[in-house]
Amino acid sequence: MTLFRIANVVALVVMPILMTGLIGRVKSLWSGRKGPPILQLAYDLWRLVHKRPVYSTTTTPLFFVAPQLFLISSFASGLIAPLLGSLPLASFQFDFVWFAYVWALGRVAIMLAALDTGSSFEGMGAAREALFSALLEPALFLVAGALSFLGGHRTLHEIATLHVRAGGPAVVWVLAVAALLIILQVEASRMPVDDPSTHLELTMVHEVMVLDHSGPDLAAIQLGAATKLFVGSSLVATLLNPWAGSPSLLSGLTNLLLCGLVAIFFGTVESLVARLKLRAVPQYIAVALACGGVALLATIWRVETAK
Amino acid sequence: MLSADERGSDFRDARARDAIFSNAMTVIFLLSVPVLLIGVTLALALRSNPARALAAIASQATATGLVLVSLTPTLRGGSPLERVWPWPKPINSIAFRVDALGAFFLVWSLPMTLLGTVYAVGYLRPYFQRGRNGGSHFALLNLVSLSFVLIYSVENALVFLLAWEIAAIAAWLLVIWDYSNQKIRFAGFNYLVSTHVGLFVLVAAFMLLHSETRSMDFAAFGKFLAQPSALRGTIFLLLGVSFALKSAFFPFHTWLPRAHSAAPAHVSALMSGVIHKAGLFAFLRFTLLMGKPEEWMGWGVLSFGLVSAFFGILYTTTQRDLKRLLGYSSTENVGIAAVGFGIGYLGWSWGIPTLTVCGFAGGLLHLFNHALFKCLLFYAAGSVYRATHTVDIERLGGLAKRLPATTALFLVGAIAIAALPPLNGFVSELIVYSALLSGSAPSDQGNVLLICYAAVLAFVGGLGALSMTRAFGLTFLGTPRDTAVHVGSEAPLSMWLPMALHALGVVLFGLAPQLALAAIWPALKLFSSGTELSVLASSLAPLSVANPLLAGAFVLAGGLAWLRGRRAKRSATWACGYTAPSARMQYTASSFSDQLARLLRALLPSVRREDLPQQTFPRRAGHLGTHHFDPVERRTFEMLGQAEDLVAHASERIPEQSRFAFAAGLVALVIIGALVLGGSSR
Repeated sequence: MTLFRIANVVALVVMPILMTGLIGRVKSLWSGRKGPPILQLAYDLWRLVHKRPVYSTTTTPLFFVAPQLFLISSFASGLIAPLLGSLPLASFQFDFVWFAYVWALGRVAIMLAALDTGSSFEGMGAAREALFSALLEPALFLVAGALSFLGGHRTLHEIATLHVRAGGPAVVWVLAVAALLIILQVEASRMPVDDPSTHLELTMVHEVMVLDHSGPDLAAIQLGAATKLFVGSSLVATLLNPWAGSPSLLSGLTNLLLCGLVAIFFGTVESLVARLKLRAVPQYIAVALACGGVALLATIWRVETAK
Repeated sequence: MLSADERGSDFRDARARDAIFSNAMTVIFLLSVPVLLIGVTLALALRSNPARALAAIASQATATGLVLVSLTPTLRGGSPLERVWPWPKPINSIAFRVDALGAFFLVWSLPMTLLGTVYAVGYLRPYFQRGRNGGSHFALLNLVSLSFVLIYSVENALVFLLAWEIAAIAAWLLVIWDYSNQKIRFAGFNYLVSTHVGLFVLVAAFMLLHSETRSMDFAAFGKFLAQPSALRGTIFLLLGVSFALKSAFFPFHTWLPRAHSAAPAHVSALMSGVIHKAGLFAFLRFTLLMGKPEEWMGWGVLSFGLVSAFFGILYTTTQRDLKRLLGYSSTENVGIAAVGFGIGYLGWSWGIPTLTVCGFAGGLLHLFNHALFKCLLFYAAGSVYRATHTVDIERLGGLAKRLPATTALFLVGAIAIAALPPLNGFVSELIVYSALLSGSAPSDQGNVLLICYAAVLAFVGGLGALSMTRAFGLTFLGTPRDTAVHVGSEAPLSMWLPMALHALGVVLFGLAPQLALAAIWPALKLFSSGTELSVLASSLAPLSVANPLLAGAFVLAGGLAWLRGRRAKRSATWACGYTAPSARMQYTASSFSDQLARLLRALLPSVRREDLPQQTFPRRAGHLGTHHFDPVERRTFEMLGQAEDLVAHASERIPEQSRFAFAAGLVALVIIGALVLGGSSR
């Protein structure tokens, strides 16, 4: 069990870097390039940490404290997520509420840091992030509520280990995975919601909020975002993982492999799909909301048929 | 070995001792009333403002001390303080009783009012320097305390109404401190009318109860309400509407943002954080009297609370007046507390004690937490107003550099009110969520509906984060948006001390949820037995580890970043290569919420005034303004106007026949009398 916990910690540190690298590599392959090494993010972080940051004269200490808060909130969410498909580092009743609100806290920190610069671009990014995440919140709760009600569980790792085999109807399961993928795309600012590689400020969400961050602060934000991506993917992976629930090597490896598949999926989507118009993003989030709602309704149907 | 007789006499001795002790405590408790009245007299009689303030603070501190001492046994699980006085007919007797519920409310209401009075000394100093007499203001603050002592203790409908009215009138007079301003007088009048509409409904409910019970005593009311009867539902609805008006639930909230933006900051804080909790207290008091509720009541309270939370938070997102924004957020927070109470009702009617406990615990804790952080936020907003003479978010900005203490304290309050961990707002919301998501309803449809409610509550949480980011970020961060705003000095000791104490409470009850639970424990026991309480305690225990750990990590990482950050290089904000950025180019509060307002324009109507530049070379500068009005308030005024027209139209048609005209005149007189209040308030 101790070994499993250590494996969890290692995964929390290593996998974000690998996943980001994998997405980059997949995108390169789709566009016919060789692409950067898988560990590119690690090199970037190393380089950034050794730089001396430059702060705007407008900013207050909040500006350079916020990235650290963001990073810690990402790690904190990683502590209760089933990174290896089962037993997380910590878990308690209704920890998924805590999970959602810790993510919200990290977001608020970054949004405030963005507003701290007094730049109109960053304010724009913060406003978009605030709106999209507010719309996303009910989708997350609908999915978590549906899964929790279906299995009668109350902790994040338990509700995520529900699989078809356990008697859950396939429709709830499929819709939950679909909703979680959309939630993840928005949260991790991937296409088609946000383009992490663009440099046109007017169209960005996450990237535009961190325009002024540099050096170690930028490193903290990049690592935090990558960690969120991995933590979120691990939820999807656990839902898909047929061996989830038991802390074994098999289920752990399957989970990591599935995380890799999620990364490949994101890379592929990003290569094939154009970014949505910003006005259309709420509609895209509404799809996640609808998936969550239907999944919740489907749980009644399951119970009715079981009777 | 004691013989049976000896043991009996011991028992009698112990009981006699208890009775004497309880009597002594009752006397100590009631002493607070004359003490507060002496404070009122002194505040009015003394010649200088510092002396008046001192009289009010000293008398309130004494009264608070007396009340706290006398309530300690009750709060530690002892029997309630009780006393009955005979009174001439038709009242017969006035009963007085402080149980754990009243004690819980008193224990924070009085100290918070005291802190508000301390704050007033600093906040009103500029007025005092101009020669304004603060005596009546301090006397009114004392009266507010007095009304708490009465409301939370009497068991008699007439005295209750009297205390209710003292609180309402005192609050009204406190709101119109700046009475020379017409807008403030209007806001005060609006409040006065609304609160009396609520009073009429309350009187109606009490009259119904009196007609059934022939008594003004709450105990008799309780006996009647506990029986199933045709009137039970009606009285529940009447009481619900009246208390909802008092606590400013949607759609009865329209008076609240106006009153809160008009009143001095400490009055807004006390009204929103403390005085209007009396509505929720009365609701709980009658819940206890009523006993086991019916299921529809539970769904009703739950839905009503959720609608209130939703619209309350929605309206905060477009406000540009910081205090109005905080006012709307009160509507949201009492809504969340009502969601908790609604689940408590459902659990009670379904016979599921864990659900009952979680629901009432969430509600009670949330209204206490709300008192803590809402007072803090209003005080900080007051500090902003005192320094800049405006609370218009569009004109502020960059205050963090000029008012660092206020900024830090507002940030603490903002994070708490957005229900983010590790502060106290999250603890109570987690309990409410845990009740909604527990999946313990008897039917699947019920469970699914509760999960949907949880999702709406999550949306409310998301909008809360948006709204508070906007309020804090645009007021305190960035650069000043309006050069005409002169920033004065930071708040004096008398202002930041109450703020700091509230902030301390916010942090403490967030990091140590078991403390918060201990605070509501005795009151909670009235709703359920001890065994279910331990379930709640054990489910909160992990949070008392998780929250401090999270906070510790934040402090550590933040501290390190701070140390490193101070050595960093400084330069201008990146403006994409543009070299002449100005403060006017910053994102504004309106633009921050614009996308949301467009998305939900059906719920967030706005008016747009524009005079755009004409021709290729415009002769004069154009202007564009958008204003989000309160749709409920506008519609109410429209309806009042229409009704007035209708009456005027009908009265023209009445033929000049003496008998008929006389009868019609009487009817019209009654109707007009009712409408004058509303119609003239436009």
